Amino acid sequence: MEQALLQFSQSTGIFAFMNSPWGWPVVESLHFFGLSLLIGTVGVFDLRMLGFGAGISYQFLHRLVPIGVFGYALNVTTGTMFLSSAPDQYLYNPAFQTKIGLMLVAGANMMWFYGTTSSKVHDTKDFDMVSARARAIALVSLACWCGVIICGRLITYFRPPYHWCFWC
Amino acid sequence: MAFVVGINLALAFSLLGFIPSLLHSRFRSFFSFHWWAVGLIFLSGVALLIAYPAKALTNPVFYLKFFALSVGLLITWRLQRSKGMTILESSTADANLGNAKSIGAAMLLCWMTTIGAGRFLAYTHSVLLASRFY
Repeated sequence: MEQALLQFSQSTGIFAFMNSPWGWPVVESLHFFGLSLLIGTVGVFDLRMLGFGAGISYQFLHRLVPIGVFGYALNVTTGTMFLSSAPDQYLYNPAFQTKIGLMLVAGANMMWFYGTTSSKVHDTKDFDMVSARARAIALVSLACWCGVIICGRLITYFRPPYHWCFWC
Repeated sequence: MAFVVGINLALAFSLLGFIPSLLHSRFRSFFSFHWWAVGLIFLSGVALLIAYPAKALTNPVFYLKFFALSVGLLITWRLQRSKGMTILESSTADANLGNAKSIGAAMLLCWMTTIGAGRFLAYTHSVLLASRFY
């Protein structure tokens, strides 16, 4: 896995770019920009479902989600660049593993939302509260994305990863 | 930081016309959340500055970040005030379209600079501790 990622990075030129003087900070800036887009759209929509901003149409706020999807795509791309350039620093890092776990929970939670409550939320009037299930989904989503941010910051403090990863 | 930048970017994209006009009077309640998050940024920023004053204060990138952050927050504060809200609420009207787009572009520039400068701070400092000077 580690070797395959490294080989991918070297053959595509990602490794050379990331190890150039400005490579890592530029990609980190883009990663945070993508995260901000995600939080500014999905996070705001979650807050709205939790009762903040009463009166703002759910349907209207939901139109911001494509920007969040763009932010997510940017994060997956830049995240892959980090991972493939220094796989040993990430694969065995408990903060990274927790971050990926939380992203999977957030993804499953999103599927649950679109599978069960999305249409009902769409039809909810501007000043009405959404169902308890929708609020629970919003809370889980917000908690997961906050956790993703925190774990993202903690990755750098769990180095060398092999020292911290007791199960690897 | 992600909440502050995120909310501001959503507003900027709204002003630039990528999404329907976002800022109407009902959006005000989100601003209280935004300013709480700004308070948190201020506290954590002061803590980091106290921890490593020489690292930040000797680095020009720190001043760039501080300037971009201040201008970004100033724009948001002005938008929140009644005159700014009027511009934003009618940002789809032709008369205000240019004005709204300029504000949106300025916001985007400020927040992207803040993010970029913030990350570059970790890579561009030449002094870590003040003890180097004595």
